Amino acid sequence: MLRAFRGLLLCAAACGMLGLAATASAEELLPADRPIPAAVDHYIDALLTERGVKPADQASDSTVIRRITLDLAGRIPTAAEAKAYVESSDPNKRVQLVDRLLGLPEFALHQRNEMDQFLAGSDRMDAAWRDYLLAACQENRPWDVMFREMMLSEETKDSPGALGYLRSRAKDADRLTGDTSAIFFGVDITCAKCHDHPLVPDWLQDHYFGFQSFFSRTHLTKANFVAESDEGEVKFKTTSGETKSAQLMFLTGTVVSEPEPPKRSDEEKKKLKEELAKLDEQKLPHPAPEYSRRAALVELALQPGERDFFARAAVNRVWHRLFGWGLVNPIDQMHSGNPPTHPELLDWLARDFIEHGYDLKRLIRGLALSQAYSRSSLWLDGERPNQDLFAVANVKPLTPRQLGVSLELASRNQSVMPVAGDEKWQSFISGRESRAGRFTNWVEAPTNDFQVSVTEALYFSNNAEIVNEFLSSSNERLLSQLINTENREAALQTAAWNVLSRPLDQEELDLFQGYMAKREDRLPDAWQQVLWALVTSPEFRFNH
Amino acid sequence: MTADPNKLTKKLEANVPGILFCLDKRDDATVIHCGSSDAKVYTFDLADEKPTGKPMEGHSSYVTGVALAGKHLVSGCYDCSLIWWDLETGKPTRTIADAHARWIRGVAASPDGSFVASVADDMVCRLWDAESGKMMRALQGHELQTPHHYPSMLYACAISSDGKLVATADRVGHIVVWEADSGRSLATLEAPVMYTWDPTQRRHSIGGIRSVAFSRDNKLVAVGGIGKIGNIDHLGGPSRVEVFDWQAGEQTHEFSNDKLKGLVETLAFGPDDAWLVAGGGDHSGFIQVFDLKEKKPLKEEKAPMHVHDMVLSADGTSLCTVGHGRIVTWELK
Amino acid sequence: MANRRANFCGSDDHRIHRRGFLGAAAVAGAFAANMGVLNVLRHPTLAAELKRQQKHVILLWLAGGPSQLETWDPKPGHDNGGPFRAIETNVPGVHISELLPKMAQRMHTTCLIRSLNTRIADHGGGAALMERGRRDEPTVQYPDLGAIIARELGRADSQVPDYVSMYTSTEGRRKGTSGFLGARYAPMFLDKELMPSNIRRLEQISDLDHQQRGELRQVLGERFARGRGSNSVDSHNGAYKRVRGLMASDKLFDVSLEPQKYRDAYGPTQFGEQVLVARRLIEAGVPFVKVARAWWDSHGQNFETHLELVTELDHVMSTLLDDLQARGLLEHTLVITLGEFGRTPRINPSLGRDHFASAWSASLTGCGIQGGAVWGKTSPDGVSVADGEVGAGELFATIFQALGIDHKKDYYLGSRPIPLTNPGTEPIRDVLA
Repeated sequence: MLRAFRGLLLCAAACGMLGLAATASAEELLPADRPIPAAVDHYIDALLTERGVKPADQASDSTVIRRITLDLAGRIPTAAEAKAYVESSDPNKRVQLVDRLLGLPEFALHQRNEMDQFLAGSDRMDAAWRDYLLAACQENRPWDVMFREMMLSEETKDSPGALGYLRSRAKDADRLTGDTSAIFFGVDITCAKCHDHPLVPDWLQDHYFGFQSFFSRTHLTKANFVAESDEGEVKFKTTSGETKSAQLMFLTGTVVSEPEPPKRSDEEKKKLKEELAKLDEQKLPHPAPEYSRRAALVELALQPGERDFFARAAVNRVWHRLFGWGLVNPIDQMHSGNPPTHPELLDWLARDFIEHGYDLKRLIRGLALSQAYSRSSLWLDGERPNQDLFAVANVKPLTPRQLGVSLELASRNQSVMPVAGDEKWQSFISGRESRAGRFTNWVEAPTNDFQVSVTEALYFSNNAEIVNEFLSSSNERLLSQLINTENREAALQTAAWNVLSRPLDQEELDLFQGYMAKREDRLPDAWQQVLWALVTSPEFRFNH
Repeated sequence: MTADPNKLTKKLEANVPGILFCLDKRDDATVIHCGSSDAKVYTFDLADEKPTGKPMEGHSSYVTGVALAGKHLVSGCYDCSLIWWDLETGKPTRTIADAHARWIRGVAASPDGSFVASVADDMVCRLWDAESGKMMRALQGHELQTPHHYPSMLYACAISSDGKLVATADRVGHIVVWEADSGRSLATLEAPVMYTWDPTQRRHSIGGIRSVAFSRDNKLVAVGGIGKIGNIDHLGGPSRVEVFDWQAGEQTHEFSNDKLKGLVETLAFGPDDAWLVAGGGDHSGFIQVFDLKEKKPLKEEKAPMHVHDMVLSADGTSLCTVGHGRIVTWELK
Repeated sequence: MANRRANFCGSDDHRIHRRGFLGAAAVAGAFAANMGVLNVLRHPTLAAELKRQQKHVILLWLAGGPSQLETWDPKPGHDNGGPFRAIETNVPGVHISELLPKMAQRMHTTCLIRSLNTRIADHGGGAALMERGRRDEPTVQYPDLGAIIARELGRADSQVPDYVSMYTSTEGRRKGTSGFLGARYAPMFLDKELMPSNIRRLEQISDLDHQQRGELRQVLGERFARGRGSNSVDSHNGAYKRVRGLMASDKLFDVSLEPQKYRDAYGPTQFGEQVLVARRLIEAGVPFVKVARAWWDSHGQNFETHLELVTELDHVMSTLLDDLQARGLLEHTLVITLGEFGRTPRINPSLGRDHFASAWSASLTGCGIQGGAVWGKTSPDGVSVADGEVGAGELFATIFQALGIDHKKDYYLGSRPIPLTNPGTEPIRDVLA
């Protein structure tokens, strides 16, 4: 009795503190039937107007197609794709572009890579995990379903790939707790482990250990299977030295009541231990518990009234990926001390996300069709506005895989390459994406405040691998095409469309012509150097 | 009473504080003299109910060699000094403070007690007149540095049963047989497997020949150490013994035991050179007996401690071993 | 690295403009020089100027955990002391192991800290702690000492690397990390050969073309960067700008350019050669060089192993100090000997010593140090600290102060201020000049 009462109290208090009361009520939000891009632009423009900031112009067509293709398909557009888009006068070309890309096989590949990065990062995962993610992305599996699968898949002899998330964390309770709260719920509560959060009243030690309790019975068996026992409590020491037993408490403060764990005699405990040991020897998983704390977490986290954390975290993460800056930053610090810049927009998108079955593709599509998304990243007129206003686009570093696939495409003689979307394209692009994994050795994955190391610059400047592979003059490479093109300006423009997805302006043409003119005696070398300068320029290295 | 190594059994076990590195005793006596890690030389009477060591003080570091030469007991130490002891009073009668330039690793006495040999990391074996303490010979045949440019160690020496020969053995597996009178080098032998240099993982060495012994007929020289080691942070390699016909310059026996890992620290030939005893260890200890005729291991026993030194009785029926924290005696009959 | 959540609360009061974090240093930048200009060692005035202004650090990282009892804090006469004796040094009252006879004559430039108690006795955890001066938090990946020194003492337009790290044995090999300071301060890491990878131009391109190709890239890069407001883009251009200069520094790694008498002086071992390279590097202005000597983990045969390794350390370190002194560099260079922990006073049956982080030693020599000072005491049996207990934080604070860096200075991770050492940490004043 007392427990439930305390739970209620905590819940009420927490709701107040979390600023959920500050959430706009449903009536104040834009109607739910508005298209996503309209809602986005409505709220973004409203704040811009309020602050008196005139946003940057829309980016040029070649910038738009490059940005969208990178964000949705994980690669730069082919020269033909870019040219067609730029030259088209169809008023619906933007929608057509987005829908076409969403239908390409590389959408799922890229989506899978992005998920792999935030779910697994630098952990070494097996093929089953990556296959699981790919299948889910190909089906556009709802995000709540994926969450269930990652948390609750039944362990079998051939362990399902989805359990990879738990498997790589099951030995480290702190990591499992902290990662799950950050990745799926947008809140990093690890500070609250040692003390109540110094600045943020939302997170008490109770919350940290309460959340950890959902995972406290999860572990890895000797045969390396994920397992959950049916007993075990989390105890922690408060800063005043008192030892407390943690309750199952979700981030909202809601406490879950659970059945008493089974009471076993010493004999029974011994027998159970032996049975489990036998299963380990036979390389079999342990049986699932009758009552699963992890299942309780999933059920609770997706209930109305509780699922805002889950929905808002997902929305903010997708937003952050496309815009290069979240509605809440950092994206794992979504709490009352760090409110969103556009609270109504976040709420509207979260509601839309929930009501449409946590459909990621739909969300991505909607964001990519907004005007806010397609602004130029250039700001030449005085001080650049704060990123929170989304008045101007952010430049984003390419991920290693994006760079790998893009460099491959850019350096190809595209006249002898499969056409994007054609029947031969799927296996071609899958092969390129697979090879691109090597780039994780040469460039670092983007982080906040990402900086390029001199190791990368030295690698691209002096390593034979890049030159011999991408800048070789074999028939399938762009370099051979350039060497064999009579008209120098035409060749330069071919290179530009391949690499930069746009034509060179006069100043650039003069620059390159000047460079080539000094090297008439060694034109193939000169072309290779020109191509090198293009692919190592930041315009190629970044998504702008 | 004939010795039977097949019947090797532990008889007596006594705990001692510290590490006993060396031991000497008269063949028929129950009294033993040991050098300890606490810088003292101890005398134990193993006939006592609970043998307790009578200390003799004079050294200032690990006492690594003791030898009975006639009526003298001579000890050698890491403090570079040799001490002659009066066994009655327990006091030094002679201290040669800088007997060697570096740490003394072992001391041996000629069977007639006329001279003593000492070896040290200055890579020199010195022969001393047991009576006068005068240095008779300095035998230099071992390199100061290993082939990898690190300081080497000269671990072991032995004197033949007729007192005419001295054998020395070092870190890198180099063995020299000397003529005691003249100081001439009569033969050199190599057991390089006993030295492991790791160039890749840890970039230093481990091992070395730790024990050397002449057969009773003086025709053979046996050396003990450890075989090749993968992880040189530990003594994780097979215990190893090689025997040579030193005059022919040929290896006659090779024993490598992967089950009993560690260093072979001490060797003794049995009566008629029919078998050879090896003692040593890593974290634990062992005694192994090898059949020299059949060229096969004959008997092995785990020892309760890492064995550093031993004395086998002339008739081969009893063995006294000392090492890490213990004295253990054995019977071979 | 990408998986690390590297930010903190982000609440309103702490909102600080992001550019403030990187400061002026990252924005400055001279254009890459021609290859020929660099060799600082042949330009006496430039070299002299560097000597006057610049400070450096050489960290001799004794990987695996060297024994304090066989180096800086011997306990002869105790059961735990082992066979090696203590010898007097040229500082009255200070004794060190007899395995360091050359350093014993050079203690007037060196201070010892004998009272480290860092509690973490596994290689990974201990090394991470001693690399960074503190433990990582889940939300913060701290930069290691080299990255911080590169940031503090490096020059934005430097033609030489800021942070070089050599670890050529395979055991326990660790690369080091620039943590939240970002890739700009990542080490130039040499793990196979003494020549950094990708530092030599490919044969198929001439030097002129290599340079002008870079200039072409630079023009494109600068055109693009204008108006983008991106530190990342700026860092990209910055990285490429440094390529030519770094390539020119390849000569610094080439020991064959060093007069034979110096090569002989440092000795024929790999460690000696690497420390000689370290001297060349700092002489040319590299602020931080780490030379790892692996692997000290003598669980068995501790005395034999230390006989080898300490003898080498004694020789190489003394040669280095004499060399720095002769070049007028010692007062501007801090030489550190440090491992991830020490070794147990108790000797095991393989005559080894095991991991021990409760009472161990480090040494600091040169810049900003009170030569001959000894801080802290361990108990006679070596098992615990008797006086002056310090941890990794205090050691780092001392290192920073010796170099004239304020250990209380804040970096910013997003909007969270992060001082160089955790609040409440004080340097060991007794060993500072």
